[in-house]
Amino acid sequence: MTVGGVLDRTEIAALRCDGITKAFQGVHAVNGAAFDVPEGQITALIGPNGAGKTTVVNILSGAMRCDSGREFLGETEVTNWPSYRIARLGLLRTFQLSRELGGLTVLENLLTAPAHQEGESLANVFFRPGRVRRQEREHAERALDVLDIYGLYQHRDVRARELSGGQKKLLEIARAVMAEPKILLLDEPMAGVNPALIELIGAYIVDLRESGVTVLMIEHNLNVVEQICDYVVVLAEGRTLATGRLNELRQNTAVVKAYLGEVIDAGAAH
Amino acid sequence: MTYYVFTLVFFLFDYWILAMGLNIQYGETGILNFAYIGFVAIGAYFTGVFSLHSAKGTGQFYILGLGLPFPLNLLLGGIAAMSLALLVALITLRRLRTDYLAIVLISLSLVLYDFCNNYVGLFNGADGLYNVPEPFAKPFGLNVNSFIPFFACVAAVVSLLMWFAMSRVMRSPMGRTFRAVRDDEVVAAALGKNVFGVKLKSMLIGSFYAGVGGGLLIQFGGSFNPTAWLPGETFVVFAVLLVGGVGSNLGMFVGALLVETLLIHLPAFLPEIPGHPGLIEYFDSALVGIVLMVMLWFRPQGVAPERLRRTPSFGVVPQDSDNSGAIGSLSSPAALELGDAP
Repeated sequence: MTVGGVLDRTEIAALRCDGITKAFQGVHAVNGAAFDVPEGQITALIGPNGAGKTTVVNILSGAMRCDSGREFLGETEVTNWPSYRIARLGLLRTFQLSRELGGLTVLENLLTAPAHQEGESLANVFFRPGRVRRQEREHAERALDVLDIYGLYQHRDVRARELSGGQKKLLEIARAVMAEPKILLLDEPMAGVNPALIELIGAYIVDLRESGVTVLMIEHNLNVVEQICDYVVVLAEGRTLATGRLNELRQNTAVVKAYLGEVIDAGAAH
Repeated sequence: MTYYVFTLVFFLFDYWILAMGLNIQYGETGILNFAYIGFVAIGAYFTGVFSLHSAKGTGQFYILGLGLPFPLNLLLGGIAAMSLALLVALITLRRLRTDYLAIVLISLSLVLYDFCNNYVGLFNGADGLYNVPEPFAKPFGLNVNSFIPFFACVAAVVSLLMWFAMSRVMRSPMGRTFRAVRDDEVVAAALGKNVFGVKLKSMLIGSFYAGVGGGLLIQFGGSFNPTAWLPGETFVVFAVLLVGGVGSNLGMFVGALLVETLLIHLPAFLPEIPGHPGLIEYFDSALVGIVLMVMLWFRPQGVAPERLRRTPSFGVVPQDSDNSGAIGSLSSPAALELGDAP
């Protein structure tokens, strides 16, 4: 059972973490998780409930600080950077429970996403209004394209809090895509949505990979993992239990015992 | 009569400015600034001491006394309020949110109040500043009566300028980022927004408005003392904001008209009830509270609420989508077959 650094020599790690630990008042939520996320592929992060998957995503995205361990984005060490700086390097994330910017319209949710907007500086707002307006128009055009792809176009002028649960899931992804991510961390993008929408979201994620985005997604549905994920990281009790392709992992008794064997339970939880 | 009318007009425009400042902090960015009136007071005091000449022989005690001319002292008063905001923000905004921030700020407001009230050397303590020079009174030959309408017009001009600037900010991507932070800080940070920096900007802009609003107050009355800014005054500005409509500049004008002008200042001109001096004032404060409760119950968005910004306002023309896209229709080009989905 290798821990971390298990990629082929030909593959490059877009995101790498090593020895990540995090304790909440004595409970070791993450206890030495270490894995690579290969560039340009879809990696699934699986594991039983309480394995520390969401905590790992929170740490990787900077929403939470880790107690020890290191994180690299490409060659840059970003351990315990604040999330806005990690986001500016191109690592975007979505949330397990959709967190829309409820008072903003759907279109505005997307327009908030691009980093380094000219119009976020007071000087530009007053002294370079033309530049601000031009960039704003470009962003709006792109946002409408993205909304069109994600089937939210007709809801563009609705306050985001008025969307349905499934639409909010799509908005989460669309908003992250609008920020032009290099790496996308999806925390259970398909939790609580109907089977048809699962297929649709799966298709969107594959499209993202085709356009060069590296994806790390937490997913419980092994059908989805089998169909769209290139690479799998299994977490159990806060540690990396194994990494590899799903069919390889099916041969791995430790993995089967910890997670795959309980797949019926995990499926029933949805 | 003109004196009364223009006093009301002045307070209308002045509270409009104050409400716009509080709105950018609370309404747009979600900073529950319960010390707002403290920033107004700092603006007022500094505008006063920048405008007053040396304190020697005046019977007052205060710092500075630079004798600067009108628009300059007002501007510096606004900047003084911003400086206090910078200090407060550095201490509080990084770690504290919502209720905890509110508690700290309300304490700050009380400390600031006691300090200014008791430390005479700063702004003349409980007596406050008085005999502040009336701007333009000499060159225009204004007397006590003509100064009131004149300065009400000055306040109107200043507030219109500040309204113009504020609308610009609120419509810009910067204003949108403020609202993103208000709606969900964690999401804003995950999208690459420096939440502390955003809040700091909002705090500074809002405090500038507070300072200028306070500066106009001391220039209008020629005096300013601690009775003018009891910490509870903050809630009058909140009432203006909530009655008018959070997030809407014009709504705040309506709020200032309804709360500040009609409810607070107009009754002060009513004749006293015989045998009960000051009773009207007390009824008045109670009425503000009642109006606020009624509003929050029946029309929480305010009289003139924030309007949605629709697609055309971003400079693009919406076209009919070819992806009718309703979820579940699955007309998406690349829809996958995920085997036997559960």
